[in-house]
Amino acid sequence: MKARLLKALQKSTADYAEIRVETEDSSVIAYRGREVETAGTSSVRGGIVRACTRGGWGMVTFDSLAQLGEQVKEACACAKLVGEEKTELAEVEPVDAEKPVTLEHDFRGVSLDDKLALLKAYNDIILGAAPSIESSSVGYGDSFRTVYFASTRGNYFMEQRPRVTCRFMAVARDGALVQRAYDGISSTTTYDAVLGMEDKVRETAERADALLRAPKCEGGTYSVILDPELAGVFVHEAFGHLSEADLVYENAQMRELMCLGREVGVAGLNVIDDGSLGNYTGTGAFDDEGTPTGETYLIRGGALAGHLHSLETAAKMGAKPTGNARAIGRSVPPICRMTNTYVTNGDIPVGELFAGVDRGVYACDAFGGQTALEMFTFSAGYGYRIENGQRGELLRDVTLTGNVFQTLKSIDGIGNDLVISKRGGGCGKGGQSPLPVSVGSPHLRIRDVVIGGG
Amino acid sequence: MRKPMIENSESRLRQGVERANSAGASAAKLSLGHSESTHCSFERGRLKETGSSESLSYNVEVLVDGRCGTSSGNRIEKLDEMIDRAIVLAKVGSTAHFNAYPPPGALTPVKTHSERTLGLARERMIESCGQMVEALREYDPDLFISATGSRNESEDITVTTGGVCHQASRTAWSLSSHVQRTKGTDILFAGYGRGWCDLNEFYAPSVIAGRVLVDLRNAEKTVEPPTGKVKAYIPPEQLPAFLMPFMAGINGRNVAKGDSPLAGRLGEQVLAKSITIVDHPHVDYASGACEIDSDGIPTRKQTLFENGVLRRFLYDLDTAGLAGAEPTGNSGCYPYWLLVTPGVRPSSELLADIDDGIYIKALIGYGQGNIINGDFSCNVGLGYRIHNGEITGRIKDTMIAGNLYDLFAENVELSSDLDHAGRMPHAVIEGLSVASRSA
Repeated sequence: MKARLLKALQKSTADYAEIRVETEDSSVIAYRGREVETAGTSSVRGGIVRACTRGGWGMVTFDSLAQLGEQVKEACACAKLVGEEKTELAEVEPVDAEKPVTLEHDFRGVSLDDKLALLKAYNDIILGAAPSIESSSVGYGDSFRTVYFASTRGNYFMEQRPRVTCRFMAVARDGALVQRAYDGISSTTTYDAVLGMEDKVRETAERADALLRAPKCEGGTYSVILDPELAGVFVHEAFGHLSEADLVYENAQMRELMCLGREVGVAGLNVIDDGSLGNYTGTGAFDDEGTPTGETYLIRGGALAGHLHSLETAAKMGAKPTGNARAIGRSVPPICRMTNTYVTNGDIPVGELFAGVDRGVYACDAFGGQTALEMFTFSAGYGYRIENGQRGELLRDVTLTGNVFQTLKSIDGIGNDLVISKRGGGCGKGGQSPLPVSVGSPHLRIRDVVIGGG
Repeated sequence: MRKPMIENSESRLRQGVERANSAGASAAKLSLGHSESTHCSFERGRLKETGSSESLSYNVEVLVDGRCGTSSGNRIEKLDEMIDRAIVLAKVGSTAHFNAYPPPGALTPVKTHSERTLGLARERMIESCGQMVEALREYDPDLFISATGSRNESEDITVTTGGVCHQASRTAWSLSSHVQRTKGTDILFAGYGRGWCDLNEFYAPSVIAGRVLVDLRNAEKTVEPPTGKVKAYIPPEQLPAFLMPFMAGINGRNVAKGDSPLAGRLGEQVLAKSITIVDHPHVDYASGACEIDSDGIPTRKQTLFENGVLRRFLYDLDTAGLAGAEPTGNSGCYPYWLLVTPGVRPSSELLADIDDGIYIKALIGYGQGNIINGDFSCNVGLGYRIHNGEITGRIKDTMIAGNLYDLFAENVELSSDLDHAGRMPHAVIEGLSVASRSA
């Protein structure tokens, strides 16, 4: 493949050109209620040529590898039509690497019958957990993706990116009231990660049942403690996206707003993105422009410390590429994205965080979150009342909203119990969703958060 | 477009169906699609990227001993392998609630392919985007302006063991512009876009930019939102989002699986009398236009809610078997192209009648909660305060919440004027709960 890609790139007439080819084999099995809802498999191959001339980009996607040279020429012609400025792409260390993966327990060797038996067992636990449980959804998916990349700079890499995921949901009903609870796990290293989840599955189903009896969280302004899962999602959604340099690099006002050194949070707040961290779903050796991944401080000591870059944004902002140009699949260009994003540990034991709250809400888990840069809305999976420093009754419908700059400054307590989620999230941006990412945080205490009520 | 590719595909798919049959499948369905598109995008007010894409994909569905297996791919040379894999999967697959794909039925013809759209050159799209950018830059040179245009042509073919062999071709264009205005930590997003199968008068760069300009003007000033229970003015482009729980409610799969609050309520008054909603897949050149569903069943025009009374659940082939109902020709049990019947008074009068309320242009975080039950709670991404019948400024950090089944049960007024495509009116609803940080 290397020789084939480099040969096709010889047709380039652009300042810079690259080819990315991907193959992906995936399968999915899902239960909904008593029955198997889906059993499917997919095998695809294809890629994209990107060319840059005088700062303008041309892109051509393809399914067949038969005409690669022609597609390089076409992308170069498109770029020539566009460019009127100067091509600025940061330099990185030359890359020539192959990163095959050996899975501890390869999901491709597990029989369909075994996978189905596992799902059925989880599904039975949910359906039998309480009389109120009306329906369930248990899904298994695996995917083995291989990325080949080469550029006119002579760079080449091949990286295998496997992933196995299991997610489950319980639906409980009492008359017109329906409550749901979710959980799941994701792994890039072994099929075994999806085994032995019986207790977690049972807890999830029992929570859906308990939420039927939980009161709604009344709308108002509260002191809120976020659990690590929700805090991680919050930092990813509300702050992380603002750090993506493609939102900033050509926008003078945004550059001013997000300039390095600006105080955005309390002194103890550090936020890091690290695509080279351990084996999480956002982990990889290279981004989709061939830049090695690494650790980037986004906030250090409460001040903005870095952005997440592609080759172009790094060059135009005078920064080093960070390995954050990621594409969701074979037919789309890479854009600035997060990998594994987390808040570092503070020094407050969780008990002390609670002790500082007379009347508040402990918000746990994330159903979802959306931001429009400065404004955000998050739905917690569930919550608890906090009274006089003690965790009280279970609450449902806990939705938090606010302005990210006000909220980061309102963090007044950072726990010392960092957890990086193994659940594996899917991030969306620019029509590319779900991109595998991970989030993490210790417990966070935030003052004056608006919680919406029905 | 390489038409021979699709033409040759028919015999290839027929062979595939035979292969599935001889390998033990009692029924099989193969479909293949091929598309080509070209696009351009402007960033920071100048042309940034242009390109083209081509893609091919196929889907296989087989029934073996009453169970269903599926596979998909994009390498035609692997089709036989993917058929075999679907057959293996079917052994553990979902229980099928049908025995056979139905024979061909009478189709209502609808136009989805336009020569005019094929003639839309990349140069013209670039020129149109440039025109929109100029109009917006003239209003405010500090805006961060984006614009995109695209043109697509696709062909699909479906072959089933029921004897259906259906080919469809489609063209489509889209054109949109977006702005971001940043002042300190105050950020505004506004945008508007259109798309259609035929290159008709909807392709209007100045109108599209004009819609964004209206939002920019309305949002020049930020004002305090009203709080408590207020009236909300919902424009046509936002109305489908508010109708989402009702569409999930009439989805036959949700009904049959016990997830829909509308189960067992056909014939009941569910929504306000002012609301009639029709699914109409036969509007020529509409984005949702479609003659046949993915199982080979003819699509049909259907009234879903008539004067607020629930009239119809939507069923695909499998779900109809599960529910003991007739299939309605709706793939995935989803509607194709919703039309909401207009009201009596023009939207200008509806707006003028609001003493204190909010105008909702965009939401953040909508649909995260228990939306199938109608519950929602989210932030207003772009919205205005309406005071004494006039828009007084932008509202920010404003949370709205409620239950859409309650909010749409009575006191809903729809405008007599519809959007450019003749689909959606403006709506005014009452009793929306609004909270804000400053309150």
